[in-house]
Amino acid sequence: MELDEKQRELLSALADGELQGDELAQALALCGSDGATACWRDYHLIGDVLRAPELAGSSDSARLLLRVRGAMAEVPVPAAPAMPPPGLPPAANDPLFRWKMVAGFASLAAVAAIGWNSLSVLQEGTPQGAQLASGQPPRTAAVTEMAQAGPQTMLRDPRLDELLAAHKQYGGASALQMPAGFLRNATFEAPQR
Amino acid sequence: MTDSSSVAPAEPRAPDADFELVQRSIAGDQRAFELLVIKYQRRIERLIARMVRDTDLVPDIAQETFIRAYRALHQFRGEAQFYTWLYRIAVNTAKKALLDLKRNPVVYEGAAPGGDEDDETSRPRREQSTEETPETVLAAQEIARAVNAAMEALPVDLRQAVTLREIEGLSYEEIAEAMDCPIGTVRSRIFRAREAISARVRPMLENQSGKRW
Repeated sequence: MELDEKQRELLSALADGELQGDELAQALALCGSDGATACWRDYHLIGDVLRAPELAGSSDSARLLLRVRGAMAEVPVPAAPAMPPPGLPPAANDPLFRWKMVAGFASLAAVAAIGWNSLSVLQEGTPQGAQLASGQPPRTAAVTEMAQAGPQTMLRDPRLDELLAAHKQYGGASALQMPAGFLRNATFEAPQR
Repeated sequence: MTDSSSVAPAEPRAPDADFELVQRSIAGDQRAFELLVIKYQRRIERLIARMVRDTDLVPDIAQETFIRAYRALHQFRGEAQFYTWLYRIAVNTAKKALLDLKRNPVVYEGAAPGGDEDDETSRPRREQSTEETPETVLAAQEIARAVNAAMEALPVDLRQAVTLREIEGLSYEEIAEAMDCPIGTVRSRIFRAREAISARVRPMLENQSGKRW
């Protein structure tokens, strides 16, 4: 398609990046024609040669364009997100935003898990940590606590109970150096020692 | 004499046109991307030619550069000029091609301290490639001569307008201020200057290697 003078002038201004609005749209609409391609090539060649004469000697542009065109046909442009206007550049950390969202959700999940765990412990009653912090001995023996626990049954060897009852006065200190209701510490020491 | 081509050359301001063409390319208009190829092909090839010894590689690397750019177009966000973005792709593509070939890249750092651009011993000579025949070299020289002759033949106001635009890189507004005329007049003068030069160059382009386009 041969372009008229007005259209070529539009392309000239487009080559300089000096079009806006309707004229820009008109010029872009012309870009599909062979006449526009030829004008576009000439205008840029002139500018390149004026700036650097050695640029007149490039390879066969038509061949390059054909090869690129063939490659473009095989590789379609992937779908792109909406591009922001040039006047409003996106924040520099935009690419990290997704990772920051992931990190935020991970932190939230961790806090929720810790909170849930703490709530469960509180609902079970006074935690062992509180007893230890009080520095007071437990009111009852561990055996009694287990006995008061209700319907829970513990299967254990009665001979062990007899042994513990017989040698209670010789019981050594717990390895924890303080009462611990959840541990049974059995020590056997021979009478002659 | 400094070699300004080893760094991204100063490009007259045209970010909006390039950005629009990129957007159209992403939307599926391949002709829009072809215009970008036409626009930047010569500069990209010169850049690559200064990185590789064997200029036979230049067209292939240039092609790969534009294909990579096409594939990555959606990543171009308009924060930098399109040519700056393309320049990086070209440099990376050339380096990768040379690594693939197990060759040593010859990168000219024109701005590197201590670099003597006039010292011929510091720059390996480019080998003449199959693409760069004596005929093509001669044709390029003829084109350059024709452009310069056409420039000399232009009326003063047209020559001044196109010089301020193409060589000095001024915007239409700046040219209008410098020439004390309306912006519309600047646009018309630049267009007429280009038409006059193109009328002398186009037959040479079409006769070169049969038909270049």
